[in-house]
Amino acid sequence: MIELPLSLIITSVLGALLAGFACSTMGTFVVRMNLSSIGYCMSHAAFAGAAFGLMISVDPMFGALLFSFITAFALGPIAEKAKLQSNIVIGFLFSLMIALAFIFLNYIPGQSANAKALRILWGSILSVNNTDVLLLGLLSFVLVIFVVVFYKELVSVMFHRKMAEASGINTKLFYFAVLFFTGFAVSLSLRIVGGLLVFALIINPTSTAYQFFFDFKKILIFSPVIGVVSCLVGYYLSLVSDFPIGASIVIISALFFAVAIVISPKRKKKSL
Amino acid sequence: MNKNIIELQNINTIYEGEKIPVIKDVNLSVDTGDFVCIIGPNGAGKTTLLETINGLLPYTGGKGFVFGKEIKKNKNFIRKHAGFLIQNFEIDGLSPFLCKDVVMMGLTGKTGPLRFHNKKDWEKIWYSMGLVGMIDFADRPIGKLSGGEFQKILLARVLAQQPKILLLDEPLSNLDYSSRHQIETLLNRLHKKYNITILMVSHDLSFIPERCSRVIVIDKGKILMDGAKKEILESEIVTSILKNGGKK
Repeated sequence: MIELPLSLIITSVLGALLAGFACSTMGTFVVRMNLSSIGYCMSHAAFAGAAFGLMISVDPMFGALLFSFITAFALGPIAEKAKLQSNIVIGFLFSLMIALAFIFLNYIPGQSANAKALRILWGSILSVNNTDVLLLGLLSFVLVIFVVVFYKELVSVMFHRKMAEASGINTKLFYFAVLFFTGFAVSLSLRIVGGLLVFALIINPTSTAYQFFFDFKKILIFSPVIGVVSCLVGYYLSLVSDFPIGASIVIISALFFAVAIVISPKRKKKSL
Repeated sequence: MNKNIIELQNINTIYEGEKIPVIKDVNLSVDTGDFVCIIGPNGAGKTTLLETINGLLPYTGGKGFVFGKEIKKNKNFIRKHAGFLIQNFEIDGLSPFLCKDVVMMGLTGKTGPLRFHNKKDWEKIWYSMGLVGMIDFADRPIGKLSGGEFQKILLARVLAQQPKILLLDEPLSNLDYSSRHQIETLLNRLHKKYNITILMVSHDLSFIPERCSRVIVIDKGKILMDGAKKEILESEIVTSILKNGGKK
Protein backbone atom coordinates (compact mmCIF):
# COMPACT_ATOMS: atom_id res chain seq x y z
CA MET A 1 0.00 0.00 0.00
CA ILE A 2 1.26 3.49 -0.89
CA GLU A 3 2.00 5.77 2.09
CA LEU A 4 0.74 9.32 1.54
CA PRO A 5 0.66 12.43 3.77
CA LEU A 6 -2.76 12.90 5.45
CA SER A 7 -3.35 16.33 3.90
CA LEU A 8 -2.80 14.90 0.43
CA ILE A 9 -5.15 12.01 1.17
CA ILE A 10 -7.88 14.40 2.36
CA THR A 11 -7.50 16.70 -0.68
CA SER A 12 -7.43 13.87 -3.17
CA VAL A 13 -10.31 11.94 -1.57
CA LEU A 14 -12.42 15.12 -1.54
CA GLY A 15 -11.44 15.77 -5.16
CA ALA A 16 -12.42 12.24 -6.22
CA LEU A 17 -15.67 12.41 -4.28
CA LEU A 18 -16.70 15.75 -5.79
CA ALA A 19 -15.65 14.77 -9.32
CA GLY A 20 -17.73 11.60 -8.99
CA PHE A 21 -20.69 13.61 -7.77
CA ALA A 22 -20.54 16.35 -10.42
CA CYS A 23 -19.85 14.08 -13.41
CA SER A 24 -22.45 11.46 -12.56
CA THR A 25 -25.11 14.08 -11.77
CA MET A 26 -24.64 15.57 -15.24
CA GLY A 27 -24.38 12.01 -16.61
CA THR A 28 -28.07 11.56 -15.84
CA PHE A 29 -28.88 14.23 -18.42
CA VAL A 30 -26.09 13.29 -20.85
CA VAL A 31 -27.28 9.66 -21.09
CA ARG A 32 -30.87 10.77 -21.61
CA MET A 33 -29.78 13.24 -24.32
CA ASN A 34 -27.55 10.63 -26.01
CA LEU A 35 -24.50 12.86 -25.70
CA SER A 36 -21.99 10.38 -24.34
CA SER A 37 -19.27 11.63 -26.71
CA ILE A 38 -19.21 14.98 -24.87
CA GLY A 39 -16.51 13.44 -22.62
CA TYR A 40 -14.14 12.90 -25.56
CA CYS A 41 -14.84 16.35 -26.92
CA MET A 42 -14.16 18.16 -23.65
CA SER A 43 -11.03 16.15 -22.87
CA HIS A 44 -9.53 16.98 -26.25
CA ALA A 45 -10.51 20.62 -25.80
CA ALA A 46 -8.55 20.50 -22.56
CA PHE A 47 -5.65 18.81 -24.36
CA ALA A 48 -5.62 21.54 -27.03
CA GLY A 49 -5.83 24.17 -24.26
CA ALA A 50 -2.91 22.63 -22.38
CA ALA A 51 -0.84 22.63 -25.56
CA PHE A 52 -1.83 26.26 -26.15
CA GLY A 53 -0.80 27.16 -22.59
CA LEU A 54 2.60 25.56 -23.08
CA MET A 55 3.02 27.32 -26.42
CA ILE A 56 2.48 30.75 -24.87
CA SER A 57 4.34 29.77 -21.67
CA VAL A 58 1.45 29.82 -19.18
CA ASP A 59 0.18 27.07 -16.84
CA PRO A 60 -1.15 24.25 -19.10
CA MET A 61 -4.03 23.65 -16.64
CA PHE A 62 -5.17 27.24 -17.13
CA GLY A 63 -5.16 26.72 -20.92
CA ALA A 64 -7.01 23.42 -20.49
CA LEU A 65 -9.77 25.01 -18.40
CA LEU A 66 -10.05 28.00 -20.74
CA PHE A 67 -10.50 25.84 -23.85
CA SER A 68 -12.92 23.53 -22.06
CA PHE A 69 -15.09 26.44 -20.92
CA ILE A 70 -15.14 28.00 -24.39
CA THR A 71 -16.13 24.63 -25.89
CA ALA A 72 -18.84 24.13 -23.25
CA PHE A 73 -20.21 27.61 -23.96
CA ALA A 74 -20.11 27.19 -27.74
CA LEU A 75 -21.60 23.70 -28.03
CA GLY A 76 -25.29 24.53 -27.53
CA PRO A 77 -25.46 27.73 -29.61
CA ILE A 78 -23.54 26.12 -32.52
CA ALA A 79 -25.90 23.10 -32.54
CA GLU A 80 -28.89 25.46 -32.47
CA LYS A 81 -27.57 27.78 -35.19
CA ALA A 82 -26.41 24.97 -37.48
CA LYS A 83 -29.73 23.10 -36.94
CA LEU A 84 -27.78 19.93 -36.25
CA GLN A 85 -27.97 17.38 -33.46
CA SER A 86 -25.64 18.16 -30.57
CA ASN A 87 -23.79 14.88 -31.17
CA ILE A 88 -22.78 16.03 -34.66
CA VAL A 89 -21.49 19.35 -33.31
CA ILE A 90 -19.60 17.45 -30.59
CA GLY A 91 -17.91 15.44 -33.38
CA PHE A 92 -17.06 18.66 -35.20
CA LEU A 93 -15.58 20.31 -32.09
CA PHE A 94 -13.72 17.10 -31.15
CA SER A 95 -11.87 16.97 -34.48
CA LEU A 96 -11.26 20.74 -34.42
CA MET A 97 -9.68 20.46 -30.97
CA ILE A 98 -7.38 17.61 -32.03
CA ALA A 99 -6.31 19.66 -35.06
CA LEU A 100 -5.61 22.71 -32.87
CA ALA A 101 -3.69 20.56 -30.37
CA PHE A 102 -1.41 19.23 -33.13
CA ILE A 103 -0.76 22.75 -34.41
CA PHE A 104 0.06 24.06 -30.93
CA LEU A 105 2.28 21.06 -30.14
CA ASN A 106 4.19 21.77 -33.34
CA TYR A 107 5.28 25.10 -31.87
CA ILE A 108 6.38 23.71 -28.48
CA PRO A 109 10.06 22.82 -28.41
CA GLY A 110 11.16 19.60 -26.68
CA GLN A 111 9.53 16.28 -25.82
CA SER A 112 8.94 17.11 -22.14
CA ALA A 113 6.50 19.90 -23.02
CA ASN A 114 4.54 17.51 -25.22
CA ALA A 115 4.42 15.06 -22.33
CA LYS A 116 3.06 17.83 -20.07
CA ALA A 117 0.20 18.48 -22.49
CA LEU A 118 -0.52 14.76 -22.82
CA ARG A 119 -0.71 14.46 -19.02
CA ILE A 120 -4.08 16.23 -19.24
CA LEU A 121 -5.42 13.19 -21.04
CA TRP A 122 -4.32 10.79 -18.26
CA GLY A 123 -4.80 12.88 -15.10
CA SER A 124 -3.35 12.30 -11.65
CA ILE A 125 -5.20 12.54 -8.37
CA LEU A 126 -1.98 13.40 -6.56
CA SER A 127 -1.68 16.64 -8.52
CA VAL A 128 -5.04 17.86 -7.17
CA ASN A 129 -4.72 21.00 -5.07
CA ASN A 130 -7.01 22.96 -2.75
CA THR A 131 -8.16 25.26 -5.57
CA ASP A 132 -9.33 22.27 -7.63
CA VAL A 133 -11.29 20.94 -4.65
CA LEU A 134 -12.77 24.36 -3.95
CA LEU A 135 -13.87 24.77 -7.59
CA LEU A 136 -15.35 21.26 -7.70
CA GLY A 137 -17.12 21.91 -4.40
CA LEU A 138 -18.54 25.16 -5.73
CA LEU A 139 -19.66 23.47 -8.95
CA SER A 140 -21.31 20.62 -7.02
CA PHE A 141 -23.16 23.13 -4.86
CA VAL A 142 -24.35 25.11 -7.91
CA LEU A 143 -25.41 21.84 -9.60
CA VAL A 144 -27.51 20.81 -6.62
CA ILE A 145 -29.23 24.22 -6.56
CA PHE A 146 -29.73 24.15 -10.36
CA VAL A 147 -31.23 20.65 -10.36
CA VAL A 148 -33.46 21.18 -7.32
CA VAL A 149 -34.78 24.60 -8.36
CA PHE A 150 -35.34 23.71 -12.02
CA TYR A 151 -36.14 20.01 -11.61
CA LYS A 152 -39.61 20.25 -13.12
CA GLU A 153 -38.36 22.18 -16.17
CA LEU A 154 -35.35 19.85 -16.65
CA VAL A 155 -37.45 16.71 -16.46
CA SER A 156 -39.88 18.15 -19.06
CA VAL A 157 -37.06 18.96 -21.46
CA MET A 158 -35.53 15.51 -20.92
CA PHE A 159 -38.84 13.80 -21.73
CA HIS A 160 -39.57 15.64 -24.98
CA ARG A 161 -38.11 19.00 -25.94
CA LYS A 162 -40.81 20.04 -28.39
CA MET A 163 -43.64 19.16 -26.01
CA ALA A 164 -41.90 21.10 -23.26
CA GLU A 165 -41.60 24.11 -25.57
CA ALA A 166 -45.25 23.81 -26.62
CA SER A 167 -46.31 24.02 -22.97
CA GLY A 168 -44.43 27.29 -22.43
CA ILE A 169 -40.98 26.26 -21.18
CA ASN A 170 -37.89 28.05 -22.48
CA THR A 171 -36.23 24.80 -23.53
CA LYS A 172 -33.22 26.42 -25.20
CA LEU A 173 -32.09 27.91 -21.89
CA PHE A 174 -32.21 24.59 -20.04
CA TYR A 175 -30.66 22.66 -22.92
CA PHE A 176 -27.72 25.04 -23.07
CA ALA A 177 -27.39 25.01 -19.28
CA VAL A 178 -27.14 21.20 -19.22
CA LEU A 179 -24.46 21.24 -21.95
CA PHE A 180 -22.57 24.00 -20.19
CA PHE A 181 -22.60 22.39 -16.74
CA THR A 182 -21.54 19.07 -18.24
CA GLY A 183 -18.59 20.78 -19.92
CA PHE A 184 -17.79 22.48 -16.64
CA ALA A 185 -17.92 19.21 -14.65
CA VAL A 186 -15.69 17.44 -17.18
CA SER A 187 -13.16 20.29 -17.24
CA LEU A 188 -12.77 20.39 -13.48
CA SER A 189 -12.54 16.61 -13.16
CA LEU A 190 -9.75 16.28 -15.72
CA ARG A 191 -6.90 16.57 -13.24
CA ILE A 192 -8.32 13.66 -11.21
CA VAL A 193 -9.27 10.96 -13.69
CA GLY A 194 -7.87 12.44 -16.89
CA GLY A 195 -9.63 13.36 -20.08
CA LEU A 196 -9.90 9.90 -21.52
CA LEU A 197 -11.46 8.32 -18.46
CA VAL A 198 -13.68 11.16 -17.22
CA PHE A 199 -16.23 10.02 -19.73
CA ALA A 200 -16.66 6.76 -17.77
CA LEU A 201 -17.60 8.82 -14.71
CA ILE A 202 -20.36 10.44 -16.71
CA ILE A 203 -21.74 7.30 -18.32
CA ASN A 204 -21.16 4.35 -15.96
CA PRO A 205 -22.96 5.46 -12.78
CA THR A 206 -26.04 6.63 -14.72
CA SER A 207 -26.09 3.47 -16.82
CA THR A 208 -25.95 1.49 -13.56
CA ALA A 209 -28.80 3.49 -12.04
CA TYR A 210 -30.83 2.96 -15.24
CA GLN A 211 -30.72 -0.81 -14.57
CA PHE A 212 -32.75 -0.36 -11.40
CA PHE A 213 -35.25 2.43 -11.93
CA PHE A 214 -37.94 3.66 -14.32
CA ASP A 215 -38.23 6.91 -12.38
CA PHE A 216 -35.99 9.79 -13.53
CA LYS A 217 -35.98 11.28 -10.04
CA LYS A 218 -34.54 8.08 -8.54
CA ILE A 219 -31.93 7.86 -11.32
CA LEU A 220 -30.98 11.46 -10.60
CA ILE A 221 -30.51 10.62 -6.91
CA PHE A 222 -28.75 7.27 -7.27
CA SER A 223 -26.45 8.12 -10.18
CA PRO A 224 -24.32 10.55 -8.08
CA VAL A 225 -24.40 8.11 -5.15
CA ILE A 226 -22.99 5.36 -7.41
CA GLY A 227 -20.50 7.87 -8.88
CA VAL A 228 -19.22 8.88 -5.44
CA VAL A 229 -18.97 5.26 -4.22
CA SER A 230 -17.13 4.28 -7.46
CA CYS A 231 -14.62 7.07 -6.89
CA LEU A 232 -14.02 6.21 -3.24
CA VAL A 233 -13.67 2.46 -3.84
CA GLY A 234 -11.56 3.15 -6.94
CA TYR A 235 -9.33 5.44 -4.90
CA TYR A 236 -8.83 2.76 -2.27
CA LEU A 237 -8.09 0.17 -4.97
CA SER A 238 -5.51 2.51 -6.44
CA LEU A 239 -3.77 2.94 -3.07
CA VAL A 240 -3.63 -0.77 -2.28
CA SER A 241 -2.76 -1.99 -5.76
CA ASP A 242 -0.70 0.88 -7.14
CA PHE A 243 -3.04 1.02 -10.16
CA PRO A 244 -3.51 4.48 -11.73
CA ILE A 245 -6.40 6.26 -9.98
CA GLY A 246 -8.44 7.01 -13.13
CA ALA A 247 -8.21 3.43 -14.32
CA SER A 248 -9.15 2.10 -10.87
CA ILE A 249 -12.27 4.29 -10.74
CA VAL A 250 -13.30 3.15 -14.21
CA ILE A 251 -12.76 -0.53 -13.31
CA ILE A 252 -14.94 -0.19 -10.19
CA SER A 253 -17.72 1.73 -11.96
CA ALA A 254 -17.66 -0.80 -14.83
CA LEU A 255 -17.89 -3.60 -12.27
CA PHE A 256 -20.93 -1.94 -10.65
CA PHE A 257 -22.52 -1.68 -14.08
CA ALA A 258 -21.85 -5.34 -14.88
CA VAL A 259 -23.36 -6.44 -11.55
CA ALA A 260 -26.36 -4.14 -12.13
CA ILE A 261 -27.05 -5.77 -15.49
CA VAL A 262 -27.07 -9.20 -13.88
CA ILE A 263 -29.28 -8.33 -10.89
CA SER A 264 -31.46 -5.67 -12.58
CA PRO A 265 -35.07 -6.02 -11.40
CA LYS A 266 -36.18 -4.59 -14.75
CA ARG A 267 -35.48 -7.91 -16.44
CA LYS A 268 -37.12 -10.08 -13.83
CA LYS A 269 -40.62 -11.34 -14.49
CA LYS A 270 -42.77 -11.50 -11.40
CA SER A 271 -44.92 -14.59 -11.06
CA LEU A 272 -48.46 -14.09 -9.85
CA MET B 1 -65.04 36.98 -22.94
CA ASN B 2 -63.36 37.26 -26.31
CA LYS B 3 -65.71 35.82 -28.93
CA ASN B 4 -63.01 35.20 -31.52
CA ILE B 5 -60.59 33.19 -29.48
CA ILE B 6 -58.39 32.53 -32.56
CA GLU B 7 -58.08 35.01 -35.42
CA LEU B 8 -55.68 34.56 -38.32
CA GLN B 9 -55.45 37.24 -41.02
CA ASN B 10 -53.62 36.39 -44.27
CA ILE B 11 -51.12 34.21 -42.45
CA ASN B 12 -48.09 32.82 -44.31
CA THR B 13 -45.65 30.46 -42.65
CA ILE B 14 -42.35 29.59 -44.29
CA TYR B 15 -39.86 27.12 -42.80
CA GLU B 16 -36.43 28.57 -42.19
CA GLY B 17 -34.26 28.41 -45.33
CA GLU B 18 -37.20 27.67 -47.65
CA LYS B 19 -38.86 29.95 -50.16
CA ILE B 20 -42.32 28.48 -50.58
CA PRO B 21 -44.75 29.03 -47.71
CA VAL B 22 -46.21 25.89 -46.15
CA ILE B 23 -49.41 27.76 -45.40
CA LYS B 24 -50.47 30.64 -47.64
CA ASP B 25 -52.83 33.54 -46.99
CA VAL B 26 -54.77 31.66 -44.36
CA ASN B 27 -57.75 33.48 -42.87
CA LEU B 28 -59.37 31.74 -39.94
CA SER B 29 -61.68 32.80 -37.18
CA VAL B 30 -62.61 30.43 -34.35
CA ASP B 31 -65.16 31.29 -31.68
CA THR B 32 -64.92 30.34 -28.03
CA GLY B 33 -66.34 26.86 -27.52
CA ASP B 34 -66.07 25.80 -31.19
CA PHE B 35 -65.06 22.24 -31.98
CA VAL B 36 -63.27 22.44 -35.33
CA CYS B 37 -61.70 19.61 -37.31
CA ILE B 38 -58.97 20.42 -39.81
CA ILE B 39 -58.69 17.77 -42.47
CA GLY B 40 -56.43 17.35 -45.45
CA PRO B 41 -53.92 14.94 -46.98
CA ASN B 42 -50.40 14.43 -45.62
CA GLY B 43 -48.23 17.50 -46.18
CA ALA B 44 -51.24 19.81 -46.60
CA GLY B 45 -50.04 22.16 -43.84
CA LYS B 46 -52.34 21.02 -41.01
CA THR B 47 -49.58 20.60 -38.41
CA THR B 48 -47.94 23.85 -39.55
CA LEU B 49 -51.25 25.64 -38.98
CA LEU B 50 -51.48 24.32 -35.39
CA GLU B 51 -47.83 25.13 -34.70
CA THR B 52 -48.36 28.65 -36.04
CA ILE B 53 -51.33 29.14 -33.70
CA ASN B 54 -49.29 27.81 -30.75
CA GLY B 55 -46.34 30.08 -31.66
CA LEU B 56 -43.91 27.19 -32.25
CA LEU B 57 -43.48 28.39 -35.83
CA PRO B 58 -43.25 32.11 -36.51
CA TYR B 59 -45.44 33.38 -39.35
CA THR B 60 -43.72 35.42 -42.02
CA GLY B 61 -46.73 37.34 -43.27
CA GLY B 62 -50.12 38.48 -41.98
CA LYS B 63 -51.28 38.77 -38.40
CA GLY B 64 -52.39 36.19 -35.88
CA PHE B 65 -54.23 36.60 -32.60
CA VAL B 66 -55.07 34.10 -29.87
CA PHE B 67 -57.06 35.24 -26.82
CA GLY B 68 -57.01 38.65 -28.51
CA LYS B 69 -53.22 38.83 -28.16
CA GLU B 70 -50.83 38.86 -31.08
CA ILE B 71 -49.16 35.47 -31.32
CA LYS B 72 -45.64 36.72 -32.09
CA LYS B 73 -45.47 38.94 -29.03
CA ASN B 74 -47.29 36.64 -26.61
CA LYS B 75 -46.27 33.12 -27.54
CA ASN B 76 -45.33 32.14 -23.99
CA PHE B 77 -48.68 33.30 -22.64
CA ILE B 78 -50.51 31.48 -25.44
CA ARG B 79 -48.57 28.23 -24.93
CA LYS B 80 -49.44 28.25 -21.26
CA HIS B 81 -53.18 28.59 -21.95
CA ALA B 82 -53.53 26.60 -25.18
CA GLY B 83 -52.74 22.92 -24.66
CA PHE B 84 -50.96 21.40 -27.64
CA LEU B 85 -50.95 17.65 -28.20
CA ILE B 86 -48.25 17.06 -30.76
CA GLN B 87 -48.45 14.33 -33.38
CA ASN B 88 -47.80 10.80 -32.16
CA PHE B 89 -44.14 10.30 -31.36
CA GLU B 90 -42.29 7.15 -30.48
CA ILE B 91 -41.00 6.55 -27.01
CA ASP B 92 -38.54 3.86 -26.00
CA GLY B 93 -39.70 1.12 -23.66
CA LEU B 94 -37.06 1.98 -21.06
CA SER B 95 -37.93 5.69 -20.93
CA PRO B 96 -37.36 6.65 -17.27
CA PHE B 97 -40.54 8.60 -16.62
CA LEU B 98 -43.64 7.66 -14.68
CA CYS B 99 -47.09 8.49 -16.05
CA LYS B 100 -47.86 10.93 -13.20
CA ASP B 101 -44.61 12.81 -13.92
CA VAL B 102 -45.45 13.07 -17.62
CA VAL B 103 -48.85 14.55 -16.71
CA MET B 104 -47.16 16.90 -14.24
CA MET B 105 -44.97 18.22 -17.09
CA GLY B 106 -48.06 19.76 -18.71
CA LEU B 107 -48.41 22.06 -15.75
CA THR B 108 -44.76 23.09 -15.57
CA GLY B 109 -44.84 25.88 -18.16
CA LYS B 110 -47.86 27.46 -16.50
CA THR B 111 -46.41 27.14 -12.97
CA GLY B 112 -43.24 28.86 -14.09
CA PRO B 113 -39.73 28.49 -12.67
CA LEU B 114 -38.64 28.99 -9.05
CA ARG B 115 -41.73 27.33 -7.63
CA PHE B 116 -42.30 23.68 -6.71
CA HIS B 117 -45.55 21.93 -7.53
CA ASN B 118 -47.82 22.22 -4.53
CA LYS B 119 -50.85 20.28 -3.30
CA LYS B 120 -53.21 22.22 -5.57
CA ASP B 121 -51.06 21.43 -8.61
CA TRP B 122 -51.09 17.73 -7.76
CA GLU B 123 -54.88 17.89 -7.37
CA LYS B 124 -55.04 19.19 -10.96
CA ILE B 125 -52.77 16.34 -12.06
CA TRP B 126 -54.92 13.67 -10.37
CA TYR B 127 -58.07 15.29 -11.72
CA SER B 128 -56.87 15.29 -15.32
CA MET B 129 -55.66 11.69 -14.97
CA GLY B 130 -59.11 10.84 -13.65
CA LEU B 131 -60.76 12.55 -16.62
CA VAL B 132 -58.97 10.24 -19.04
CA GLY B 133 -59.51 7.22 -16.77
CA MET B 134 -55.79 6.65 -16.14
CA ILE B 135 -55.45 7.26 -12.42
CA ASP B 136 -54.46 3.62 -11.79
CA PHE B 137 -51.54 4.08 -14.18
CA ALA B 138 -49.96 6.94 -12.19
CA ASP B 139 -46.90 4.96 -11.08
CA ARG B 140 -46.47 2.96 -14.29
CA PRO B 141 -43.45 3.71 -16.52
CA ILE B 142 -44.59 5.64 -19.61
CA GLY B 143 -42.67 3.32 -21.96
CA LYS B 144 -44.72 0.33 -20.86
CA LEU B 145 -48.08 1.65 -22.06
CA SER B 146 -50.04 0.65 -25.15
CA GLY B 147 -50.61 3.24 -27.91
CA GLY B 148 -54.07 4.14 -26.61
CA GLU B 149 -52.96 4.40 -22.99
CA PHE B 150 -49.99 6.55 -24.00
CA GLN B 151 -52.24 8.89 -25.97
CA LYS B 152 -54.57 9.22 -22.98
CA ILE B 153 -51.65 10.14 -20.72
CA LEU B 154 -50.53 12.79 -23.23
CA LEU B 155 -54.08 14.11 -23.30
CA ALA B 156 -54.12 14.20 -19.48
CA ARG B 157 -50.84 16.13 -19.62
CA VAL B 158 -52.44 18.75 -21.85
CA LEU B 159 -55.59 18.86 -19.69
CA ALA B 160 -53.52 19.41 -16.54
CA GLN B 161 -52.72 22.83 -18.01
CA GLN B 162 -56.47 23.57 -17.72
CA PRO B 163 -56.28 25.07 -21.20
CA LYS B 164 -58.92 27.28 -22.75
CA ILE B 165 -57.98 25.92 -26.19
CA LEU B 166 -57.01 22.38 -27.13
CA LEU B 167 -54.82 22.02 -30.22
CA LEU B 168 -54.78 18.33 -31.10
CA ASP B 169 -52.55 17.06 -33.87
CA GLU B 170 -53.82 13.69 -35.13
CA PRO B 171 -54.84 12.43 -31.67
CA LEU B 172 -56.54 9.39 -33.18
CA SER B 173 -53.83 8.24 -35.56
CA ASN B 174 -51.92 4.98 -34.98
CA LEU B 175 -54.56 3.74 -32.56
CA ASP B 176 -56.68 0.59 -32.77
CA TYR B 177 -60.44 0.93 -33.16
CA SER B 178 -61.20 0.58 -29.46
CA SER B 179 -58.62 3.18 -28.38
CA ARG B 180 -59.78 5.60 -31.09
CA HIS B 181 -63.35 5.23 -29.90
CA GLN B 182 -62.31 5.87 -26.27
CA ILE B 183 -60.37 9.04 -27.13
CA GLU B 184 -63.18 10.26 -29.40
CA THR B 185 -65.75 9.74 -26.62
CA LEU B 186 -63.46 11.51 -24.19
CA LEU B 187 -63.12 14.54 -26.49
CA ASN B 188 -66.89 14.73 -26.91
CA ARG B 189 -67.31 14.57 -23.13
CA LEU B 190 -64.67 17.25 -22.48
CA HIS B 191 -66.22 19.60 -25.02
CA LYS B 192 -69.72 19.10 -23.61
CA LYS B 193 -68.67 19.49 -19.97
CA TYR B 194 -66.19 22.40 -20.21
CA ASN B 195 -67.18 24.09 -23.48
CA ILE B 196 -63.48 24.09 -24.32
CA THR B 197 -62.43 25.32 -27.76
CA ILE B 198 -60.96 22.43 -29.75
CA LEU B 199 -58.99 22.45 -33.00
CA MET B 200 -58.29 18.91 -34.07
CA VAL B 201 -56.24 17.82 -37.05
CA SER B 202 -57.11 14.60 -38.84
CA HIS B 203 -56.48 13.03 -42.21
CA ASP B 204 -59.22 10.47 -41.71
CA LEU B 205 -62.82 11.45 -42.40
CA SER B 206 -64.19 8.50 -40.50
CA PHE B 207 -62.92 9.76 -37.15
CA ILE B 208 -64.42 13.17 -36.75
CA PRO B 209 -65.94 13.37 -33.26
CA GLU B 210 -69.68 13.76 -32.94
CA ARG B 211 -69.54 17.17 -31.24
CA CYS B 212 -67.37 18.68 -33.97
CA SER B 213 -69.63 21.14 -35.75
CA ARG B 214 -67.25 22.70 -38.23
CA VAL B 215 -64.76 21.20 -40.66
CA ILE B 216 -61.97 23.00 -42.47
CA VAL B 217 -60.38 21.38 -45.50
CA ILE B 218 -56.80 22.35 -46.14
CA ASP B 219 -54.58 21.36 -49.05
CA LYS B 220 -51.24 22.67 -50.33
CA GLY B 221 -51.23 25.23 -47.52
CA LYS B 222 -54.56 26.82 -48.43
CA ILE B 223 -57.98 26.56 -46.89
CA LEU B 224 -60.18 25.04 -49.61
CA MET B 225 -63.42 24.66 -47.72
CA ASP B 226 -64.74 25.80 -44.37
CA GLY B 227 -68.23 24.97 -43.21
CA ALA B 228 -70.64 22.80 -41.28
CA LYS B 229 -69.54 19.21 -40.77
CA LYS B 230 -72.43 17.64 -42.69
CA GLU B 231 -72.03 19.91 -45.67
CA ILE B 232 -68.27 19.32 -45.92
CA LEU B 233 -68.37 15.60 -45.39
CA GLU B 234 -70.92 15.16 -48.16
CA SER B 235 -68.80 17.10 -50.63
CA GLU B 236 -67.25 14.97 -53.38
CA ILE B 237 -64.23 17.29 -53.62
CA VAL B 238 -63.21 16.43 -50.04
CA THR B 239 -63.39 12.69 -50.67
CA SER B 240 -61.37 13.11 -53.86
CA ILE B 241 -58.66 15.21 -52.15
CA LEU B 242 -58.21 12.76 -49.29
CA LYS B 243 -58.28 9.71 -51.57
CA ASN B 244 -55.68 11.12 -53.94
CA GLY B 245 -53.42 12.50 -51.22
CA GLY B 246 -53.78 16.06 -52.41
CA LYS B 247 -53.53 15.37 -56.19
CA LYS B 248 -56.71 16.40 -57.90
